[in-house]
Amino acid sequence: MTYKTTILAALLSATALVSAQSVQAADPIKIGVVTPLSGTYAGIGQQVRWGLDLATKEVNAAGGIMGRPVELIYEDEEANPSVAVQKADKLFQVNKVDFLTGTVNSGSTLAVGQVAERAGKLIATTVSFADSITADKCSPNVFRVNARAGQQSAALAVWLSKEKPKANVFYLGPDYEMGRSTVAAFKASAEKVGAASTGEVFAPLDSKDYTQYFGQMRAAKPQVLYTSVAGNDTVRLLTQMQEFGLLNNLTVVGASGTVTAQNLPAIGKAAEGFVTGVGYSAEIDTPENKKFVAAFKAANKIDPDLYGADSYGLIYAYKAAVEKAKSTETDKVRTAFNDLKWQTPQGEKTLRAGDHQAVQTMYVVRVTGGKFSIVGQVAGTDAIGPDACTRF
Amino acid sequence: MMTAAIEYFQFVLAPQILIGLVLGVAVILVALGLTIIFGLLDVINMSHGEFYALGAFIALALASVGLPFWLLLLLVPLIMLPVGYIVERGLIQRVFHSGERHVTTLLLTFGLGLVMEDAFRLVFGPNPQKPPVPIAGAIDVFGVFLPLYRLFLILGGAAVVALVALVVYRTRLGAMVRAAAFDRHMAASLGVPVQHVYAGAFAFGVALAGLAGVMLAPIYSVFPTMGRDFILMAFTVVIVGGMGSIAGVVVAGLLLTQVQAISSLYISPVWSDPIVFGIMVIMLMVRPQGLFGRLGHG
Amino acid sequence: MADALTRSMRASHVLAAVLVVASLGFAAFGAASGDTFYLRLGTEALIFAGLALSVDILLGYTGLLSLGQALYFGLGAYLSALVLMVTPSFWAAMGATAIGAVVVGTIGGFIANRVRGVYFALITFGMAQVIAKVVYNTRALGASDGLIGVPVIDINLGLFKISSASPVGFFLVVLTFIIILYALAAYLLDTPFGRLLIALRANERRVPFLGYRTVTARLAAYVIAAVIAALSGALYPMLRGFVSPELLFFATSGNAVITVVTGGVGTLVGALYGSILLTLFKSVVGSYTEHHLIVIGLLFMGAVIFLPRGLMGIVRPVIERRLNRGAKS
Repeated sequence: MTYKTTILAALLSATALVSAQSVQAADPIKIGVVTPLSGTYAGIGQQVRWGLDLATKEVNAAGGIMGRPVELIYEDEEANPSVAVQKADKLFQVNKVDFLTGTVNSGSTLAVGQVAERAGKLIATTVSFADSITADKCSPNVFRVNARAGQQSAALAVWLSKEKPKANVFYLGPDYEMGRSTVAAFKASAEKVGAASTGEVFAPLDSKDYTQYFGQMRAAKPQVLYTSVAGNDTVRLLTQMQEFGLLNNLTVVGASGTVTAQNLPAIGKAAEGFVTGVGYSAEIDTPENKKFVAAFKAANKIDPDLYGADSYGLIYAYKAAVEKAKSTETDKVRTAFNDLKWQTPQGEKTLRAGDHQAVQTMYVVRVTGGKFSIVGQVAGTDAIGPDACTRF
Repeated sequence: MMTAAIEYFQFVLAPQILIGLVLGVAVILVALGLTIIFGLLDVINMSHGEFYALGAFIALALASVGLPFWLLLLLVPLIMLPVGYIVERGLIQRVFHSGERHVTTLLLTFGLGLVMEDAFRLVFGPNPQKPPVPIAGAIDVFGVFLPLYRLFLILGGAAVVALVALVVYRTRLGAMVRAAAFDRHMAASLGVPVQHVYAGAFAFGVALAGLAGVMLAPIYSVFPTMGRDFILMAFTVVIVGGMGSIAGVVVAGLLLTQVQAISSLYISPVWSDPIVFGIMVIMLMVRPQGLFGRLGHG
Repeated sequence: MADALTRSMRASHVLAAVLVVASLGFAAFGAASGDTFYLRLGTEALIFAGLALSVDILLGYTGLLSLGQALYFGLGAYLSALVLMVTPSFWAAMGATAIGAVVVGTIGGFIANRVRGVYFALITFGMAQVIAKVVYNTRALGASDGLIGVPVIDINLGLFKISSASPVGFFLVVLTFIIILYALAAYLLDTPFGRLLIALRANERRVPFLGYRTVTARLAAYVIAAVIAALSGALYPMLRGFVSPELLFFATSGNAVITVVTGGVGTLVGALYGSILLTLFKSVVGSYTEHHLIVIGLLFMGAVIFLPRGLMGIVRPVIERRLNRGAKS
């Protein structure tokens, strides 16, 4: 730590002390967080927690929301929707939270959204990709501040058409709803820009060995492989491909959650050259983002990934909406959220009123030298796609 | 026509069979300890997957202080031996003599597995870690590509199986073990220290799980829930092969992984699990003792 | 003169009565204080108690451990959700579930009852795993997302109607329902059929010599357990408004086993108490630490080692002695 930042930190903590005292008198605004802290998705839940904690600390140090401090209440949902609804119910009914976030798998987000509707409260997801959450299964009480699958593939397809025009693409997705929809979304965008599809295969979630799909992959002779596996599965897929020499002369592209700060160290060299369309990267070269990354790293000793950054940004979205509404009442906050513009580490985001989906600049990110670097970007309005929500 | 067939064999079928073989060896390594524990103690070790993970985590921790992989192959099983011994004497023996030994020991090890998995997360965090592959490079046999470490796994796995079979069938120790499995009272009256044989066999099975953890970690990576990976397949292999049979584990392990590997060429791989389970269910229905008999009964 | 079995069953009934009284008090208190969460949590505990009850029928009375009882719980939940989304009728959903459970339970029973002991545990585990995978991959059933949007229904009880959205109303409906399932199971197991099951457990080879068919008895027990699990599962979407494939996963079956072992195997009422205690415990511990699995795993291991009859093993003998004393004087 340099001398300058030490002084800065000291000053910050001093102001934190002062403002903590000044907002102590007011009633806290409670935000419930239902997120997987155990099980397969615990790594994602960890980033969500870190992002929310950091933003809350900052907001409280700066006087809270309308002079009221923000309090986060965590519950472990075990990546199980039936546990998630029970915990969400508890937060709404017992802890009387004003707002709720944190759900990761789309099943949990959809189920908790329904709980929120019945409780007359609002929720937002900062992680779930499934397009349906802000399309055919949209809810007036559910918002999404992160980029959905469609936005990610649109950005990636733009890059593909420029860098690898008319490429032969092979698809490998995890065999469940999310995997099939991400592959379908990217396939549509890629074919639109002139790519040829040479085959697709779906591997069960948590596959131990991907080598058994290499035969089909090799036979298809692709130039580009698109994959939407995530977490531990990516570690295995890419390292096994490297072992079998399949990464030579092949460009691997994928979904936002495929390679993240969380699994990049375990993948190592095999991730080299991986390209994805994503709503956030720690490499975004703006003062706001640099400040965020430094603070995040100081607190958690690891770079933020998209989950950490989008969760961080959510607290500021909620702050902006509540201050605009001058209230935490559901209807007023919902109105304030509609077409809300707010600042996040990755720049300005807008919550589209028609489907409650955040519109934001999309980035194309490549792994170079074991780190992510930005190789392109697509304007938010070009990546968002039509509003397919008909419920409100 | 002929060349097309040869090409299909060389580029599609042969690599698939080879890949299936690697997976088969991996499953056999995990299942070996499971079948020995069952064959001797009549205990379904539900925490076997977590002992496999424990081996991998111990290896990871020791590698981070600079110990070489080849030493760990020896060291980790040695560390696991007393762990297994203590678990058997301290936990399993406490419920071993109740009327429903099968059920109580299954429940106890199920609970132990829950605790261990959560403890891994507490100590090592939830994110995956991957040890480097100890032998880099690959060989090319008639156009069939095989990474060297996988070749080592096949040969090393075969050596482990041979060694275990040798210990069980050709040594005095093994004879005592088999005697105790066949009739514990008779063995005890002949002077076999049955208590220690039981605990020793459990420790041996757990040490094998740990060894599997060390050997497979460079390929499959290390994380808290990794114990769930092979355990289903290992159980299936043990059942189809015949609980307690070493030959059964080898035959069923190779057979089932080949079924999986080759079927996934032609149908969606998501169905390969149900197919293997279907085989297990059918096997249980028509021949519950499995392909081969039990240890000490064959 | 009542034999030991009847006496201990009576002690269970006393404990069940205590539970009902306590639940009614809880419901009254909840209604008076305008609570929603704890009433719903209690409702959920009772629903999962039904699943645990079905595990206890198999484990406690036939000695067979099912590691796949979530198969029938999930079957009931999905069937009920699908029916409710077409026609919001409580009785239609329950009827469809009962029929479905008898059919699937009979098929499953034929497969599973060919084997005994650990093989039974593994075969039930395998069957549930296959079905869970199929549901997880079937788009028409919502695949991994599950089915949301199960409507709130009015349960027609003849004289009056109760909305499934009313916390206290639905709690009472579920309480009544689970107690009926408990009474039904207790009654069946106290008949000659139940005695036959217990005899089978004690000595399987000798029973056929007494002129009974062992296969039919076991199959009947399996189907009864399947129906009880499915009917409990059918209540789930009415409470929460959705179903997801996780209801079919091993975690659900495993939880039911933990419930029964902690509550008390072979006591029936132990399943009910176990479920309530475990739900309460998870809710409390889960709010303090994300490492609740360690705590629950250790408690469970403790119960397996030290309490072969679970919590009921401590409580029930006391009641039995009281009852005895009452009978003698």
